[in-house]
Amino acid sequence: MERHMGSSTRIEKGTTIVDVVGQIDLGNSPALRKTLLASLKDADRVAVNLNAVKYIDSSGIASLLEVLKEARQCKKRLVLFGVTGAVSQVLQLTRLTGVFEIRENEEQALEA
Amino acid sequence: MERHSQLPMSFHLKVVMSSDPRFLSVVRAAVGRLGEVYGLTEDSCREVTLAVDEALANVIRHAYKNRHDEEIEFNCQARVDHLEFTLVDRGEPADLARICGRPLDEVSLSGRGTHLIKAAMDEMRYERVPAGNQLRLIKNIPAAKVTVEKP
Repeated sequence: MERHMGSSTRIEKGTTIVDVVGQIDLGNSPALRKTLLASLKDADRVAVNLNAVKYIDSSGIASLLEVLKEARQCKKRLVLFGVTGAVSQVLQLTRLTGVFEIRENEEQALEA
Repeated sequence: MERHSQLPMSFHLKVVMSSDPRFLSVVRAAVGRLGEVYGLTEDSCREVTLAVDEALANVIRHAYKNRHDEEIEFNCQARVDHLEFTLVDRGEPADLARICGRPLDEVSLSGRGTHLIKAAMDEMRYERVPAGNQLRLIKNIPAAKVTVEKP
């Protein structure tokens, strides 16, 4: 299992897509928050691909929540996709599934 | 993966680690594997791993105020019918209001860690001990999953 967190950014159909891989925990969630906030500054729509994220803790969820709040404040959109396994489970346990805009895959995220 | 029909009678792992988040993944790997050996479901394994990780993260964040050079003692013991995790730190006493868990709401960025621990574990007990803070977490093992080898 990929133990470290990494991310890369690309642009598809006017949407900035951030592909995140690995495990998100207390040690690296600030870096993820920084990356996503920077992406949000330069784009009206940001889609976060969590398909290769094998672990996320509450600090990672808090980072996503903070970016969502910033997006709402700036009247921009944040969409999550590839939410499966561990990520889906944590979102359900923290009762945040309905708070985020979640799409099944990249195609749907771009159409959202 | 096929699990062994005869489980080990006992397992005790003691880790003395720095309060550095880089060690969290090491503990997660051990706890996840132990849960698997003791027959927890995949979801349950993930929940228990998450709970232990959140408890350690709370020690780093709250007891040690994000200082990464303090000591945490982590004990993980498998009993006949439960898994027991004990964390001891020498940091600030825990905020009991936080341990009791605040209601979850959409706007709050914090407080979800304790909620996750309580959701995953069957028992959570905090004590102020001479060494500092002690948090004990218990996860019961479903009876059907436990096979004790007779001599």
